[in-house]
Amino acid sequence: MFTESWQSVGPSLDECIKCNICTAYCPVAAVTDRFPGPKYAGPQAQRFRENGQPHAPDRSVDYCSGCRVCNEVCPTGVKIAELNARARAQMVAEQGIPLRNRLLGRNELLGKLGSLAPRLANLGLHNHVSRVMAEKVVGIAREAPLPRFSEEGTFGSWMKRTAGERLRSDRKVVYFHGCATMYYEPFVGKATVVVLEHLGYEVIVPPQNCCGLPLLSNGEFGAARRYHEGNLHKLVPYAQQGYEIVGSSTSCTLTLKEEAPELLDMFDEESEELKLAVWDVFEWLRERYRQGELPTDFKPLPMVLPYHPPCQYRAHRVGRPAAELLALIPGLDVRVSTARCCGIAGTYGYKREKYQIGMDVGAELFEFVREQGREVRMTACDSETCRWQLEHGTGLPSRHPIEVLAAAYGLYDLERREPRGV
Amino acid sequence: MREIPDLLVIGAGLSGLMAAYEAAEAGLRVKVIAKGLGSMHWSAGTVDVLGYAAGDKAVSMPLQELEGLQAVAPHHPYVVAGAEAVTEALSRFVALAKELGLPYEGAEEPGRNLWLPSPVGAARPVYLAPQGQRYGDLALAEPIVVVGFEGLRDFYPWVIAENLRKQGHRARGTVLPFALLSERRDANTVQLAQELDELKRVVTLARALKEVVEPGERVGLPALVGLDRHGRAMEVLQEELGTRVFEIPTLPPSVPGMRLYRALRSDLEGRGVEVEIGMEAVGYEAKEENGGFRRLLWVETATSARPLKHRARAFLLATGGLLGGGFDSNHEGRVWERVFDLPLAMPQNREDWFRPKFLDPAGHPVFQGGVSVDREFRPVSPEGKRLFANLWAAGNGLRDCDGIRERSREGIAIVTGIAAARSILVALRREKHVH
Ligand code: SF4
Ligand code: SF4
Repeated sequence: MFTESWQSVGPSLDECIKCNICTAYCPVAAVTDRFPGPKYAGPQAQRFRENGQPHAPDRSVDYCSGCRVCNEVCPTGVKIAELNARARAQMVAEQGIPLRNRLLGRNELLGKLGSLAPRLANLGLHNHVSRVMAEKVVGIAREAPLPRFSEEGTFGSWMKRTAGERLRSDRKVVYFHGCATMYYEPFVGKATVVVLEHLGYEVIVPPQNCCGLPLLSNGEFGAARRYHEGNLHKLVPYAQQGYEIVGSSTSCTLTLKEEAPELLDMFDEESEELKLAVWDVFEWLRERYRQGELPTDFKPLPMVLPYHPPCQYRAHRVGRPAAELLALIPGLDVRVSTARCCGIAGTYGYKREKYQIGMDVGAELFEFVREQGREVRMTACDSETCRWQLEHGTGLPSRHPIEVLAAAYGLYDLERREPRGV
Repeated sequence: MREIPDLLVIGAGLSGLMAAYEAAEAGLRVKVIAKGLGSMHWSAGTVDVLGYAAGDKAVSMPLQELEGLQAVAPHHPYVVAGAEAVTEALSRFVALAKELGLPYEGAEEPGRNLWLPSPVGAARPVYLAPQGQRYGDLALAEPIVVVGFEGLRDFYPWVIAENLRKQGHRARGTVLPFALLSERRDANTVQLAQELDELKRVVTLARALKEVVEPGERVGLPALVGLDRHGRAMEVLQEELGTRVFEIPTLPPSVPGMRLYRALRSDLEGRGVEVEIGMEAVGYEAKEENGGFRRLLWVETATSARPLKHRARAFLLATGGLLGGGFDSNHEGRVWERVFDLPLAMPQNREDWFRPKFLDPAGHPVFQGGVSVDREFRPVSPEGKRLFANLWAAGNGLRDCDGIRERSREGIAIVTGIAAARSILVALRREKHVH
């Protein structure tokens, strides 16, 4: 039995009882005066944004990072982070969008361009002069942990190259890799594929678009809608045939399931079909485990591993499935962080005026990692930009938990980030 | 497959957490889920047991009032639990709070209510106060200086002092610069409390207080004296000033309530209890059993896509009433319990929800309705028949109590949380025995 408790974003503000719990927990309001906190920027200011009010009341809502701590702690279910995201879109509609945010919103396009000549692109982007320029001209903080384009080819080219070695099976699952895996971190995709195959599934990788999240969080709703429509077109046929679609990026899976339809008001049948077919990879693996279908032939991985459940899990509301499964690996001492946010929040911490806020927000997490002792060699987190921020803030390498799982199955080299030949 | 928990508690307010504590301590595997954070974050952090009975009669000895309660409100949770269970649960809380490093105390005369200043300077009947609020007792003779901070939005010293004077107490208000607390231009009480976790700041504050406190006065400060290092901060202030210092609750969020919540939660997590927030229970699955009972198999929470199942052997509903979010209502006059749609003892006609006067001493029927339970704190139908074989209920969603008006919110939470947990223990042990 499942009683639907859906509340659409707008009316949810009427549920606010002004308890200020959200403000007490918001990690951004805790470190800066520039953001008054969720209650003020969300349900309160929203009153002035509705019903054809001419202008957004103030610009502070732009400092909301979208981490959704507020949504999680709110006792009455106000969709504060979504109210804020919509308010940003309203500001963009009124005032236009800065070039920088246009760039940061276009992960897929940047990836495509960069992967044409990744070495050159990395050289061009990752040097002091160009980072200073980027800060001055477009406002991307020079210290921010921008990713490097993969110099060993994209995930797509690896899939093509290894097509002959890929498992064929009656049990099939569709893989949504997202832009970061495609262009920057193909090894995350490789680890996912070898794990899914280890469970006996053939992995289908259909053509796909960016999920649109970077555009949504920068307030470019029109462009985001086009991406989501593209994904519906490409993925819904699989959903209709009964395939499950797993993704290794917690933010992409969240966007496909809920963020895009909710923010864009796309409650059509196809969006619903896609939503119900999409799983975060660890959510899906945990389900296999609960059904008794997960192989547990783990090799010991003796080490202490600080693990940070990314903010998007908070929005998925599925608990901490990666932590549950990593705990099965013998010898692995998983320390789950309770830090609220790493501070990067997608593209937030890249922005010149927000870089320091992001680092101050992340301090809680960096401190947690330091407290786990000096033997710690690496950290883990499911979300790509959070991993980059973690590396930036702690100086330690960071891995996706799927890489750790693949390594425990003996299928993956955690140091070199390469599948092992089986 | 992973072993399922013995007990799933739905709700992370005081009743849910106390039940989780009681059950975990007895060795059960417990998990707590909640939609959001509970009322401890906006109540004063005190334990109110019974401040008003029979309308607006002020109560000075709450435990002595229980017998009288039986006659006028036979379904009141204290009556269901029984006087002995009430007393025992409260001592249990006192012992636990001490263990957590957040000692609670009652009045010098055992069993008497304290009267403490509210955020607007009204007198509030409190049975147990956190040590930090204890010296606000209006029965004490020393005059009070209420010290606020310029620009602090949630605390108004002059209002408090004036209202205290109107009630015949000697009190005055004054303010210190905001910059003593924080370099920020604006911050809420929780952020400021965190600033006072730093010893240096407490010492600076003490020095500034010395300038404004007159000999013989006790000092009332907004409740933000430290979050995790509250005890130390209070000690330093008392020592430096050589006088009694106490906290007065502010507008929400409530720092004293959060201290208790944080301490309780981390104690539970240390015992292996998983606490998951952001999990809204929206449905359940049950199967018919012999004897007409239904047995709950799992509770479902909403996720970004499909519902998530939480299995357990026993389930405790501790989601609160209308105020706590355990009930919902619509414009057609229906009020319902959100997870199991349990029958509510509540006027069904919308016209009967409220009495005509907003501040009617008898309160409003809609706030007094709730879930009916039997002596074991299991929900029952209007005919008194048990509804599920493995469901219990606790907290302010129970019928025939009115926590805010009676000033009994925390007492009800603690007493029913512990009583339900004990009943669950007995039932689970019996089952194990049977199998
Ligand atoms: S936590 Fe929710 S109900 Fe409380 S003030 Fe914030 S939005 Fe309103
Ligand atoms: S989403 Fe995060 S940053 Fe934005 S208001 Fe909520 S808690 Fe604060």
